Amino acid sequence: MSFWRSTFARCGLVLAVFLAGLGTCWADPRTSNLWWMPENAVQGGVYIDQLIYFILFLTGGVFVITQIVYIFFIVKYRARKGVPATYTHGNNRLEIIWTAIPTAIFIGLWGYSNHLWWDVLHSTPPANSLQVGVAAYQFGFSFQYPGADGKLGKAEASFVSNDNMFGNDPSDPDAKDNFSSSVLEIPVNRPVHIRLDSKDVIHGFYIPQFRIYQDIVPGRMIDWVWFTPTKIGKFQLACSQLCGSGHYNMKADIEVVSEADFEKWYQEKAKAVQPQPGAKLTSVTETKDQ
Amino acid sequence: MSQTIAHSGPEAHAASAHHHELSFFHKYIWSEDHKTIAIQYLFASLFFLCIGGLLAMGVRYQLAFSGSPIPLIGTLLPKWLVTDAGAIQPQGYNGLVTMHATVMVFLVVMPLLVAVFGNFLIPLKIGAPDMAFPFFNALSFWLFFASGIILLSSFFVPTGFPAAGWTSYAPLSANGAYNGSQAGQSLWCVGIFVNGLASIAGAVNYITTIINMRAPGMKMFRLPLPVWALFITAILLLLAVPVLSAAAAMLFFDLNFGTSFFEANRYGQPLMWQHLFWFFGHPEVYILILPAMGLVSEMLAVFSRKPIFGYKAMVYAMAAIGVLGFIVWGHHMFVSGMNLMLSSAFSFSTMLIAVPSAIKTFNWLGTVWGGSIRFTTAMCFALAFVSMFVIGGLSGIYMASTPVDLFIHHTYFIVAQIHYVLFGGSLFGIFGAIYFWYPKMFGHMMNEFWGKVHFVLSFMFFNLTFFPMHNLGLNGMPRRIADPNLYDFLKSSQPLNIFVSLSAFGLGLSTIIFFVNFIYSMFKGPKAPRNPWNSTTLEWTLPSPPGHGNFPVTPTVYNGPYEYSVPGMDQDFLPQNQPAPETARVTVH
Ligand code: HEM
Ligand SMILES: [Cu+2]
Ligand SMILES: [Cu+2]
Repeated sequence: MSFWRSTFARCGLVLAVFLAGLGTCWADPRTSNLWWMPENAVQGGVYIDQLIYFILFLTGGVFVITQIVYIFFIVKYRARKGVPATYTHGNNRLEIIWTAIPTAIFIGLWGYSNHLWWDVLHSTPPANSLQVGVAAYQFGFSFQYPGADGKLGKAEASFVSNDNMFGNDPSDPDAKDNFSSSVLEIPVNRPVHIRLDSKDVIHGFYIPQFRIYQDIVPGRMIDWVWFTPTKIGKFQLACSQLCGSGHYNMKADIEVVSEADFEKWYQEKAKAVQPQPGAKLTSVTETKDQ
Repeated sequence: MSQTIAHSGPEAHAASAHHHELSFFHKYIWSEDHKTIAIQYLFASLFFLCIGGLLAMGVRYQLAFSGSPIPLIGTLLPKWLVTDAGAIQPQGYNGLVTMHATVMVFLVVMPLLVAVFGNFLIPLKIGAPDMAFPFFNALSFWLFFASGIILLSSFFVPTGFPAAGWTSYAPLSANGAYNGSQAGQSLWCVGIFVNGLASIAGAVNYITTIINMRAPGMKMFRLPLPVWALFITAILLLLAVPVLSAAAAMLFFDLNFGTSFFEANRYGQPLMWQHLFWFFGHPEVYILILPAMGLVSEMLAVFSRKPIFGYKAMVYAMAAIGVLGFIVWGHHMFVSGMNLMLSSAFSFSTMLIAVPSAIKTFNWLGTVWGGSIRFTTAMCFALAFVSMFVIGGLSGIYMASTPVDLFIHHTYFIVAQIHYVLFGGSLFGIFGAIYFWYPKMFGHMMNEFWGKVHFVLSFMFFNLTFFPMHNLGLNGMPRRIADPNLYDFLKSSQPLNIFVSLSAFGLGLSTIIFFVNFIYSMFKGPKAPRNPWNSTTLEWTLPSPPGHGNFPVTPTVYNGPYEYSVPGMDQDFLPQNQPAPETARVTVH
């Protein structure tokens, strides 16, 4: 019995450590970034964070309440001399209650989530969006910009090849002046609409600060992802889908800059492109940026 | 429904068992006795547990100390795995992650739950002399064993382990030029295929046995919950596993014979692999947890000395999980590039499937309520199962919510969740069940003191290992990357990675206590009585271990499975095969 007391004490201790740990999540956020989410840096991310906190409080509350009740039962109903167990097979009313309430909560949560999924994240990108093509390959990313005419042009997965990583439609003149970059350079506060394609295997487009993840699938042009960065700074794009021996280091730099800086960078890049009739479109090899 | 068929042969069979002595080969190698097969499965899958555990240690070593040579054995390891200095290299790391998960899922948890306890308990609990198809049963074990050898043999091929993840997403897995281990990946396909055959042979056996061979009076609603759980699991296996087997065969053809089921560059469909895999994969998740729920329910009832709270609700909840489990697979694919409308629909069905799990949890609380709880080692693991399962279930809600899944989909948050369900859930349930049924299996008791030491240490280290992984995931650490230090946004969380790894080593070491206890008790443990835990179900009416053919006389069943603390009785349990005494006030729910 005394062994049992002490084991209880130990289990209690462990639990306390966790709750304390959870506490530190609040006390020690962001400064060290040891425990918690990196600060959000896009518009839609705010809503995702709200939803995460909502679920955190919901599940945290359920967790704490069920555990307290459970531990209370375990301690209170430990075997004691002369106290028999209650003989019961259950209670139908309770079954109905604890079926109905979770069902309602879960359906409500689905409504909330689904609303966000459609209305905020996967709504039509605004007309002034910057169009960027993203090509993934073993083991890197490349980005394509619309060039002087501001139009990325048509693209299709079936056109993707070594010479045409972004799958540009060879018959579409809009694509002739596109230029590419190995850094994802984007202006702050302007929607960015990306188009994803992969040359070989499935890769991932993951930026934790942007609260975004989308697989990049060979044979599919994925064109529904868009976001509006709200913070100037350097970020990293990580491939988050196992894609082979170089996966561990498949990443790209992202630079969110002011509108003015972006214009300057863009004009320089666009000028360097010499559209020649019949020439290959954007090639795989490219100059490393600065 | 209540029709039960008594097997005509058991008396004759049991009697004759004393006359013809089985040869060593038929007794231990190709045995057709379900109890021996269960024990063969037990030894094999515990062996694989050691291997899977060692692979996990390799994974955690790399994440904490990437680039440092592995002490002692580093330079002895093959070159696909380590550098010349003996440090794990990225491709080797991918192989470790892939095989850790493959081994744990297909060679450890699945066989431990379904094959060990399915084989051992089903005939004993329903009053049958053996399985319906003993030959298939023996075949199942050897197919399983072969699949383990095939999967692990990839260690010895020059390109090493398959390295495309246990989910083997195509086209990475479908082309040796992409994944760098054509031979390993091909062995994976063959291994998974053979493993599937073993599962199917087992499933057919369990379903037939449970339907046809129940003792007189053993109505379906008198079946102990482990049997119900295994019954539903077997149906899931029978419907889900062939899909994976077919997919593995197609993948094998893509890899070796130039077909193009999954490769986009040759007009295949990469997403088709994911649909096939997860059509199997989600029911698989429940295959890995339902039997543990059944085993835990029983231990909770026995050691609370109470009937299970809401027996029928438990059964209906499991059946609901079984049905819904087939229409939620798309929640693994919210970000896969499939149609966004499908994501909405799968998110909805996923929210629904959380309901039966909630029901089960509340009924477990109800079972403990008002009990007279005995804290045996088995009970400790069963109690811990409930808590850990609650954590895993609640963190699953994050992923069910599509927008949140965008953020955490392929991060360590998922790794944390998987382990809360599969380790804190399934494996804790299995540990408890081993402590509980060991006396019946081997005729000796396990040491309770060391059992509790094992429990306390693994409970502690388990949480210290896996809880912080939630935080790593929220921090943005992707799963399956060999070196988090290469990412700017992960540098700040490296101390947490080191902490997690040290805890993981503690967890690994604490399991040694279990193994020593397990082996030592087999020889030196005190002799087990027939019914050490004062249980009601049929297996405890037999000697420990039961003889060949099980029941000398086919038992007749008079009561539900969990008649504990019935008012008006002297003893606090009413065995299923004893009519209630006149004074007993048995109620039926
Ligand atoms: C000492 C015990 C264990 C430790 C330390 C451990 C550690 C890990 C780690 C670190 C990963 C993630 C690898 C990565 O993403 O880079 C992982 C993955 C996984 N583990 Fe474990 N594990 C343990 C036991 C188990 C058990 C008992 C199971 C039971 C079934 C299991 C099933 C899995 C699965 C399914 C994955 C997913 C792999 C993937 O990302 O595809 N593990 N484990
Ligand atoms: Cu990758
Ligand atoms: Cu699933």
